[in-house]
Amino acid sequence: MAEKQEVLPGTLNLLVLKTLATLGPLHGYGIARRIEQVSGDLLELNQGTIYPALLKLEQLGWIRSKWSVSENNRRAKYYSLTAAGRKQLVEEEEEWHRTSLIVNRFLNPAESKT
Amino acid sequence: MNRIRIFLARVRGLFLKRRLERELDDEIRSHLEMQIEENLHQGMSTAEARYAALRKFGGVDQVKEVYREERSLLGVETLLRDLRYGFRMLRRSPGITAVAILSLGLGIGANTALFTVVDAVLLKTLPVEAPEQLIIFEWQAGRPFRMSGMSGTSNVDVPPNMRGLSLFRYDVFEKMQQARTADSPLSDLFAFGPIREMNARVGEEAEIIDGQGVSGVYYSALRLQPSLGRVITEEDNQLSAPPVVVLSDRYWQERFGANPSVIGQQLILNKQAFTIIGVTPPAFTGTLQVDYQPAVTIPLALEPLLRGENSRLGTVKRPGVWWLNLMGRLKPGATAEQAQQSLNSAFQSAALEAMPPPRKADQPAQLDPKDYPRLLTESGSRGMQDRRKSYAPTIYGLFIVVALVLLIACANLANLLLARATLRRPEISVRLAVGAGRWRLMRQLLTESLLLAVLGGALGVFFAFWGKGALVAMTNRDTGLLPSGVDLNLNWRVLVFTLLVSLTTALVFGLVPAWRATSLDLTTALKHSRRMTSGASRLSKGLLVVQVALSALLLAGAGLFLRTLYNLDHVNLGFNQNNLLVFKLQPQQGGYKDERLVKFYQQLFEKFDHLPGVQSATFARVELIAADNWFNDFLLPGEQKETAPEHETMRQMVRENYFATMEIPFLRGRQFTAKDDQHAPRVAIVNETFARNFFPGAEVLGQRIRFTDDKGEVEIVGVVADTKYERQREDIKPLFYTPWQQEGDTIGTMSFALRTTGEPAALVTAVRQAVRELDSNMPVTEVSTQTARAHATLGKERLYARLLSFFGMLALLLAAIGLFGVLAHSVSQRTNEIGIRMAFGARMSNILRLVIWQGMKLVLFGLAVGAACGYGLKRLAASGIFGLDNWQRPMGDLLYGVNATDPLTLITIGLLLTSVALIACWIPARRAAKVDPLVALRYE
Repeated sequence: MAEKQEVLPGTLNLLVLKTLATLGPLHGYGIARRIEQVSGDLLELNQGTIYPALLKLEQLGWIRSKWSVSENNRRAKYYSLTAAGRKQLVEEEEEWHRTSLIVNRFLNPAESKT
Repeated sequence: MNRIRIFLARVRGLFLKRRLERELDDEIRSHLEMQIEENLHQGMSTAEARYAALRKFGGVDQVKEVYREERSLLGVETLLRDLRYGFRMLRRSPGITAVAILSLGLGIGANTALFTVVDAVLLKTLPVEAPEQLIIFEWQAGRPFRMSGMSGTSNVDVPPNMRGLSLFRYDVFEKMQQARTADSPLSDLFAFGPIREMNARVGEEAEIIDGQGVSGVYYSALRLQPSLGRVITEEDNQLSAPPVVVLSDRYWQERFGANPSVIGQQLILNKQAFTIIGVTPPAFTGTLQVDYQPAVTIPLALEPLLRGENSRLGTVKRPGVWWLNLMGRLKPGATAEQAQQSLNSAFQSAALEAMPPPRKADQPAQLDPKDYPRLLTESGSRGMQDRRKSYAPTIYGLFIVVALVLLIACANLANLLLARATLRRPEISVRLAVGAGRWRLMRQLLTESLLLAVLGGALGVFFAFWGKGALVAMTNRDTGLLPSGVDLNLNWRVLVFTLLVSLTTALVFGLVPAWRATSLDLTTALKHSRRMTSGASRLSKGLLVVQVALSALLLAGAGLFLRTLYNLDHVNLGFNQNNLLVFKLQPQQGGYKDERLVKFYQQLFEKFDHLPGVQSATFARVELIAADNWFNDFLLPGEQKETAPEHETMRQMVRENYFATMEIPFLRGRQFTAKDDQHAPRVAIVNETFARNFFPGAEVLGQRIRFTDDKGEVEIVGVVADTKYERQREDIKPLFYTPWQQEGDTIGTMSFALRTTGEPAALVTAVRQAVRELDSNMPVTEVSTQTARAHATLGKERLYARLLSFFGMLALLLAAIGLFGVLAHSVSQRTNEIGIRMAFGARMSNILRLVIWQGMKLVLFGLAVGAACGYGLKRLAASGIFGLDNWQRPMGDLLYGVNATDPLTLITIGLLLTSVALIACWIPARRAAKVDPLVALRYE
């Protein structure tokens, strides 16, 4: 099995936003589990760290929260993307692609020539 | 942008703290529950499921901590928490807290109150547009420079062999105006001067008011807009123009009831009709002199209408007088030097032209160029500075006193906090031991001090506001201590000042105790052994000594001034000041002169002499003991004007029965009679000092003297006993009395004195009635009694005595409280020691003596320090180290009949302090003596 990676601080935001974009409104636990699943347990993530991240995102106005009842009749705080958040997601995705492209060029100079 | 969003969200988080905290708890709980559920699904046992869930989550507390940091503004939160804690601590000892806040309030309040005065008198800039562009013109010249006469006050700093003046003559001003060209650095040049004691009549009512004359561009240069109507312009400033007048806001309120229809009404000034054209706004006191608030303002060129032959502008017969203030407004970018240079030559030639011919042989006709008059400039943003500067030493002196009191209060609080810090030592040491930062703890303790200081400051502002009445009394015209009518209010400058003072006191009295409290050697502190403490620390003792010393100084000052006051009140004036009703009349303002004037007075005396309750009525030119004077040069027999040395005498002009009415003993010769009128040979009566000074050993009766500026000789026909003249404290001066009927055209305002059989005040209405019967438009001014007048002349001394007594007692009270607090604390710390002593046979009296001596040692040391400081200060002031212009009157001058080191006063103060201190020591001493040795020894 590959070594578990630590989450880079900025990328957690991107992961959360993408998750909400894909799955729609979700509570903190759900977001954490989803990230675990998608990363295939390659990420070293303490589930708890999601909450300060969610707070920050809410402070920035990219997500909003609402208390609601979950499938199991449990009270949970649901988070959803705002319009600004959607825009932010698109921007961050683009930037991520751009960054990886540039880095790729450096790492694989032969490929870029083609 | 994002930063702002986050900041705002955090502010919100500050307010929703509890809710957000609870929500997070709920969220985490539900998160864990969901994870546990899933774990259970996967087949783990209950315990395993929980354990796995927690592990996956990570540290719950860490998450909460990080979350908390991000949720709101941490610094603010901590501060709020400290404040809440501080409040709780303060509430726990309400007595100490109340005393602390009260004494701080008094100390800070006094400072704030005084600062409002400083602000109003020294700091406030003029309420006009761009005051920093205004400059004041002054000039200096060598001593040989001569002037044709001067009127007004001036306070210009010049080198010692020069003379400087801030007053100008009208024609000199006009020539300077003409010399201005289009590229002058000044956009405006204007002049103004006071016109005092005008007879003003509105309808039927007449009264005496003060006014001023201004040149045409005065208001436009100040960019002052009227609140009603219009202001004076260049067109109004000509003798041929219709006379107009502008009212001050206060005069408009008081006399016209703020009626807007005054515009166009007539105001009769000195029998001339002026049309009211406008009112100036309330913020503008009407002039640029801090202690002069004219009720009305007229164009300068119209001054001759009011003063006739005595016009200060200059008439055909008499040259003008140097009486005008000159100011200018600089164009943007121009400097004062440029303005000065552009006008200097015009001023110089005009001033030299205005020089009168030499009066004495030793005065040169032509001036040496090094003595030529030269123009100077000064900043005008605060208006004329002369009077302001003269108030500065008093105000600064008061500030020192008040600051000292505040320091004493601070020392008290420092001691209180030190004491409390030692009591909290166990708590603090535990906190330090579990890892609280020292800085963090200090911050908490400082927050408490800050809280006390802010509360004290708020109380202080309240006191200052409340004490405005006392301040107004200080600015009473009688004391002359501070300019009268100054607008004292609490503006933002004052509040900022109070805030700064509060914060500084918090630091001053909070820092050291906080430092001390947190610099603990943990092992010994945690051992919680009381035997380690030695009672009051050296710092506490030092503070107490300082407090006692300062109180002693203040009280000594108070004592000296009280004695001075007593001495001055009881000085022998040389005449009987009881039951004398005094008042003034100015008939010349009503147009009376020469024959009419003499007749008026004669008729008036007819009435007065027959008023029931009046024993005798008289008048004089100069009112006694009222800071009024009149003096002249004269020539002894055989002396010539050009060669004679200067002789000067005080003068007085009286009615024939003056000496009898005032009960001044008449010694020899003859009195004035009604026959000594303008047709008879001129006679005079002198006092003993005059006879002794100028005719020593010879017989003064029959001698003739001449006054340097006039006609003919005067024969001395009588001698009277000496009296005080201007004020109680001065030396007796030579005095020269002349009969009023022989003074003709120099009769000015006369001061009446009526000896009454009963209470003088009862006759005021009768007197007014009598005057009204002769002339309904003649106001009776400055009505008072002689004793009240003399009383008022001592206003300054009385004020000093009162202030120093008040602050001295306050300081003493604070010091006593401090002493009590320190000793009480010391006793409670030394309970063990006392128990041991008692176990070894010490009796109650021994313990009493021990504690009292501990306290009194400090007090005596404090007195010694105070005495040494006082002596040192006296030497310092006497040595003139501060320079004469700042400390014009060293302490010795202010006292009367008592030395600054007067032993009686100092001993009395010493005894007072000692007895108060004894009482303060007694109570803790009793408590110490009552200690039960068994309890003391057992309790650790």
